[in-house]
Amino acid sequence: MKVAQSIHLLSMECDYPASKKNKLTHPMDIDCTVKEEATDAGSTNQHFHWSQWQLLDSILPTGGFAHSYGLEAGMQSRMVNRPEDLGPFVVQVLENTGSLLLPFVYCASKSPDAATWVKLDQLLEATLTNEVSRKASMSQGSALLRVAASVFTEIQTLQDLRQTFLGSKNLSFHHAPIFGLICGLVGFDHETTQRAYMFITMRDVISAATRLNLIGPLAASVLQHQVAADAERMLQKWRDRGVEAATQTAPLLDALQGCHAYMFSRLFCS
Amino acid sequence: MAGLAAAVEAAATGVLRVEKVRGRSAVTRCFAKYPLKLIAPSKVAPASCGAAWIYAITYGGGIVSGDRISCAVTVGDACTAAMTTQSSTKVYKAVDSKCSEQVLEARVGKDALLALIPDPVTCFSTARYHQKQVFHVFTDSNLVIVDWFTSGRYESGEKWKFSFYKSINHIILEDQPLFIDSVLLEESSNCSIADRMQGYNVVAMVVLLGPKLKHIQDQMQDEVKKMMSVQLRPPTSAGGRYTSRPQPLCPQMPPLIASCSPFGRMGTGMVARITAVSTESVYSFLRHHLAALESFLGASPYSAS
Repeated sequence: MKVAQSIHLLSMECDYPASKKNKLTHPMDIDCTVKEEATDAGSTNQHFHWSQWQLLDSILPTGGFAHSYGLEAGMQSRMVNRPEDLGPFVVQVLENTGSLLLPFVYCASKSPDAATWVKLDQLLEATLTNEVSRKASMSQGSALLRVAASVFTEIQTLQDLRQTFLGSKNLSFHHAPIFGLICGLVGFDHETTQRAYMFITMRDVISAATRLNLIGPLAASVLQHQVAADAERMLQKWRDRGVEAATQTAPLLDALQGCHAYMFSRLFCS
Repeated sequence: MAGLAAAVEAAATGVLRVEKVRGRSAVTRCFAKYPLKLIAPSKVAPASCGAAWIYAITYGGGIVSGDRISCAVTVGDACTAAMTTQSSTKVYKAVDSKCSEQVLEARVGKDALLALIPDPVTCFSTARYHQKQVFHVFTDSNLVIVDWFTSGRYESGEKWKFSFYKSINHIILEDQPLFIDSVLLEESSNCSIADRMQGYNVVAMVVLLGPKLKHIQDQMQDEVKKMMSVQLRPPTSAGGRYTSRPQPLCPQMPPLIASCSPFGRMGTGMVARITAVSTESVYSFLRHHLAALESFLGASPYSAS
């Protein structure tokens, strides 16, 4: 596991349990020691979890809530009509995410540097031929980069990358490579990074379904747990591939999502 | 670069070169070996037009398991060429899981136009098919690519029974990737291709690239938007999760779905994605939207005759 650069940890060491028998202890009697523990695997591990959960929390302001991943077009074309139709739809979206986008997430997390990022971004720009999903990817990617750079101020590489490419015309700031890049820099291993990308996709489609009134929030939570097994299967099937192998596996969904801008009244951007 | 192109030509099943001869596009090299046959009839376009038409035909009308057909095409500067087929390309059942393969490498010159307008690919039950098409273009090259396939001999009930279909289309603009597309449909135990494709039997992609095709692109985008917007509507309040009893009428999906997307930084390209229930409806769609190509090619693609 890659350790994020110069993380300083403040840890409150509680003496209480060890000295219970020997001291007259008062509940407020806590021995506070401030330590620099950058190399302590145990503490770094615990600190890392907070970053990991924050990155995957839907409260992170990356604008993911504005996208339905083709679900709204699916509903308006009567492909998805009842709550029972949502499960298979989510699985198709996950399969396509795995086959088309995981290679970009994986390659970015393996080499989180400027040269790789630019190449991946330009290739994904040529690969996302569906304008609706291309624009969604750009808006989510740039939002994620902005948030991550603001939040993880201790990761110098991230700050430098953002500074270098801000306003650049050569970059489209696509979501998948940025997601892989940030996870790689924060310290996720490659498998977790790819699983995380599948997770946020699943999370956002199901969330969109509740806002589209297709399914209630409780039933949505039940479905999310049921689909997890399929999501894991998709991850294992499509993980760790090179970008030359990226392929789409849902042509019907692609054609439908491309119709998003034709819908007269719509809730979502994509 | 010249050495690489020569190497590709040497290994190819078919080689085609279109160059200007006395001011008109003419086929200056037309070589093909089994199982491919290339025919360049001179009567397709009127003499005044100056476009070259080439038919790619396979012996037996289809591709057998394990066959590999590769074609190297060069369209010279300011030339116009159309490549098509006589009928749909049939891909026969896989023997020993061997894949049938078609590879095309095309170089389109400056101010040239290449229209690749074949009939669809039809994969029979258990067939395995892989296709790769790479187009090298300049900023003012023009390109029409129609790439489509059906669910099989669906009128006889063979629907999405093939095992593996993969089609790759790359457009490279002066060594930079401009359009990188890959579609894969593979039979899996978890979700059948048929389930994924709902009731649709045809998947088509149309790419239009280049300054000469701008008006065709614009017209297609407008008409597709008009056609689709009337078919897409939010679910009524009677449906949705509050319905406790089954709906009497099953809501119908549109028989043909199409969407257009521009691509390329300068928006010089456009890709249309189509899924449809019937092959005939897609022939109709292509005939209508590509009719304006007649002024370049001398004949309208997919004409009813």
